Amino acid sequence: MNAVLQYTVQGLAAGSFYALAALGLAVIFGVLGVVNFAHGAFYMLGAVAAAVLLDTLGLSLWGALIVVPLLMLVFGMLVERLLVQWLLPLDPLYNLLLTFGLTLLLVDLVKRRYGVSGLPYERPDVLTGRVQLGGVGLPIYQLFVIGVALLVCLGVWLLMTRTRVGMIVRAATERPELAGALGINVGRWVTPVFGFGVALAGLAGVLAAPFRAITAEMGSDFIIILFAVVVIGGLGSIVGAVVGGFLVGLVEAFGQAYAPTFAQVLIFVLMAVVVLARPAGLFGREEATA
Amino acid sequence: MTSIATAGASVSEQHAAIAGGRPWQRWVLLAVGLTVALALPWFVYPPVAMDIAAWALFAVALDLLLGYCGLLSFGHAAFWGGSAYATGLIAIHFGVPFPVAVLGGALFAMLLAVPIGYLSVKRSGIYFAMVTLAFAQMLFFIANQASSLTGGENGLQGVPRSFFGIEAVETDAFFFYYAALPIILLGMWAAWRIVHSPFGRVLVAIRDNAPRARALGYDVERYKLMAFVLSAGLSGLAGGVFAVSHGFVALPELHWATSGEVVLMTVLGGIGTLWGGVIGAALIVMLADYLASSGFDGIGIVTGAVFVTVVLLFRRGIWGTARHLYLRRRSASRARRS
Amino acid sequence: MNKRRRTGSTTLLAGLTAGVLVTAGCGAGGPSAGGGDFTDDKVVLALLNDASGVYKDVSGPNSKIAIQMAIDDYQEKYGDDAVVDDIEVTSADHQNEPDIANTKAQELYDREGADVILDVPTSSAALAVATQAKNKKKLYMNIGAGTTELTGAQCNKYTFHYAYDTWMLANGTGTVVTEEGDKNWQLIYPDYAFGQDMVKSFTGAIETGGGTVAGTIATPFPNDNFATYITKAGAANPQVIGTMHAGGDLINFVKQYNESGLKEKGIDLAVGLMFISDIHSLGVEAFEGTIFTDAWYWNLDEKSREWADRFLEETGDRPTYAHAGNYSAALQYLEAVQAAGTDDADKVVEELEGKKIDDMFLRNGEIRAEDHRVVHDVYLARVKGPDDVTEDWDYEEIIKTIPAEEAFRPAAESGCSM
Repeated sequence: MNAVLQYTVQGLAAGSFYALAALGLAVIFGVLGVVNFAHGAFYMLGAVAAAVLLDTLGLSLWGALIVVPLLMLVFGMLVERLLVQWLLPLDPLYNLLLTFGLTLLLVDLVKRRYGVSGLPYERPDVLTGRVQLGGVGLPIYQLFVIGVALLVCLGVWLLMTRTRVGMIVRAATERPELAGALGINVGRWVTPVFGFGVALAGLAGVLAAPFRAITAEMGSDFIIILFAVVVIGGLGSIVGAVVGGFLVGLVEAFGQAYAPTFAQVLIFVLMAVVVLARPAGLFGREEATA
Repeated sequence: MTSIATAGASVSEQHAAIAGGRPWQRWVLLAVGLTVALALPWFVYPPVAMDIAAWALFAVALDLLLGYCGLLSFGHAAFWGGSAYATGLIAIHFGVPFPVAVLGGALFAMLLAVPIGYLSVKRSGIYFAMVTLAFAQMLFFIANQASSLTGGENGLQGVPRSFFGIEAVETDAFFFYYAALPIILLGMWAAWRIVHSPFGRVLVAIRDNAPRARALGYDVERYKLMAFVLSAGLSGLAGGVFAVSHGFVALPELHWATSGEVVLMTVLGGIGTLWGGVIGAALIVMLADYLASSGFDGIGIVTGAVFVTVVLLFRRGIWGTARHLYLRRRSASRARRS
Repeated sequence: MNKRRRTGSTTLLAGLTAGVLVTAGCGAGGPSAGGGDFTDDKVVLALLNDASGVYKDVSGPNSKIAIQMAIDDYQEKYGDDAVVDDIEVTSADHQNEPDIANTKAQELYDREGADVILDVPTSSAALAVATQAKNKKKLYMNIGAGTTELTGAQCNKYTFHYAYDTWMLANGTGTVVTEEGDKNWQLIYPDYAFGQDMVKSFTGAIETGGGTVAGTIATPFPNDNFATYITKAGAANPQVIGTMHAGGDLINFVKQYNESGLKEKGIDLAVGLMFISDIHSLGVEAFEGTIFTDAWYWNLDEKSREWADRFLEETGDRPTYAHAGNYSAALQYLEAVQAAGTDDADKVVEELEGKKIDDMFLRNGEIRAEDHRVVHDVYLARVKGPDDVTEDWDYEEIIKTIPAEEAFRPAAESGCSM
């Protein structure tokens, strides 16, 4: 029982990174129709930015949680304006290819600038240590990560359901044909939404900084799992991204605990089952995917 | 929305490509291609020449799927690497001449492609790319763990190059190139035949308008699956030759970066041109070879920048652009004449 | 307009043809000449390693400078008596791609006249290059890779293995830590060839030291989430957890071990493979107290420190074991050439085999003739706490020297037949 609680917390913590990043991937896909291959690289940039800001300006995790997503927002908007927008009228595969190239570029630039062995990161003291819960020591940092992720997901959900902007975005994401029919102009939200999605990946990176190795390659395998997450959750679905993220995190943790050798393969098996049984994903709609 | 293949080359150009232009032009192109293939190891370091040939077939195989079915596979490393391991294991354990091992490897790749393809072709477009990528990565994890069979990250070392006891081929990369070239050319011929067969025309019809093809009574998924399996088989031929040429197989052959590399070659050469991939492969392999000795340590910066530039500015790729310019000039001069 | 364009393309075509003919005339290609045919008035040392990927910091381009230092020292030592005046160092970046390593190795031997290839990290690349050395009958001294296959089943006459290997790492850490009192072990390892080898060697070493391995846990590779595995291992209440992870995965592991609270519970952490460059980039705080085996440490004694100062002047960094290993290997190769009076590979091999060496890198060193393992003293190190660090790169406290004869796998067990 104790072990199950620990694995659950660990799975949800790992799932938090996936959920936040997948949420970004989902809104970008929803509004732009673009699958952003560079999302893993943006996650990496978020972590690297946090480490660099701590090293140069002494900006702690608290500051980084605000500043880095804002920086990533601006960076994402620049990427959209300079690169992504030119390919929007074409087959979405072109933007997949573009962002793939961008990934190679970003990873190598970070390698050259910040080396290959990784960057150090110190978290605030408040977030170290454990809390006792039913005789089990649970790491505060993992609980913190879960808390932030849930808050942000909830915030995004409120944004989507309670504000005009959100409704437009949601309409475009989940009911593109309806948005078109109602004559809603999605066009001017394209750039901010792309930036917003990138900011979410950056936020996941900041949260990962104290917990994981900060290297140029840290997003390379992350993006593959992220793809599995959105395929499982349903690419067009915001809820699917979040649920898929946490689900994959839990599968990873329990897989590691009870079937260590197959932990990584399990995620892909889950994906295969979903593709077979519900090709559009758990929360996806057939029309929402091309 | 235009599909990725027709956006690279206009529909009329594709028809021209399928018809192959005037017959004599086709022969000239064929002759030039064969001459280059035969002369290559005289100009390029022979092991590098062999790499170019293997990657070229791999890129052609990918374009068969990307250009003619509109399916972007980001998981073709599974078939290239899967066949490389199968070829290596056959060569090590049975000591057969290498072409036999390579055929065995290609067959294995096709078998592997059946379940992966069955699941993947249920989706198209972006989904297809992501699903193939994920499955290929799964294979990477499996090969890494099954180190008693694959050698894990030490690689499967000591793949022999037996060739009927002809020592020159078995030890010298220069002669090996000529022994392996027929396999590569056979693969390319097969790709050409597939594209120009009635089957190939159905694929293009499905790519351009799947609902219409379905209405005409074609089983769209089955056609896609067949194309996927054939493409995997040709990728397998290429991967097998690559494995024998190097004398070992290592894990990166299965990694998604390899899938990305072949996509880069195809895009650079020109999607939907079939032969563009050959040029793309030659350029990328020679670039990697050059950078390895240049002292410049940012190969990702160069390939990434090339990728971004090509996708943004030269979507037709090299072959596609050349053909486009040629066709435009021809139609202009024809217009003037009449 | 049309006409001019056509003329342009004709010129281009003519230019291309001419270019092709010129290249052909220079004999850029064609059948490769048989091996062993190099000029005796020049020696070429070739560095083949990872100049752009994960091993860049631990070895990378700085190793080229180390090799140049060896050449300078050789020339200074022998002056006019040197058997060869023209000594060059060349390098290639294998980008951690075994295919590229394989092709480049052939090219270095065939085209650049390399007499010896040095370094080559990454096991698959290292083994591929060993095969090329055997085929081309040219020397190859591996410094960067850990696989014992190089001196085991896949050993050959022209391949030498310097510095470290997985057996030595596991043996050093496993035996000594057990003898010092941590008898009850849990091992966590990445489930691939390196990790599996390490666990086998560790288990043997721990049992030799009188300890027991209560459990082993395999993890996927690569992986960034170890929390569950660490929890599981900690639940068994061992005295020490051994991790066989390396590079980025090791950093993930250590961060999550520190998070887990096992450290405070007094459960130690022993690491299978770690380099000083890892500590340098992450800071001692992250690794404080961690125990690992090192092939060499720059601040070992006067002799190593003196060389490290020179290296610092040249590069701005302190040397890792790999930089020192490349220097030593290059120097010993040149010494062997000097003794043989030729760069003929077979004669140089004869000089090297069985040679006893004591230089700034190898202490009580010997090049074993049986399997070409270069044995020498190695060191068990503990990462210092932040308060004990007195200068940059001063990270290791050497807690024990493991003598050369015990440090490496005995030749009889290697399974090597040349």
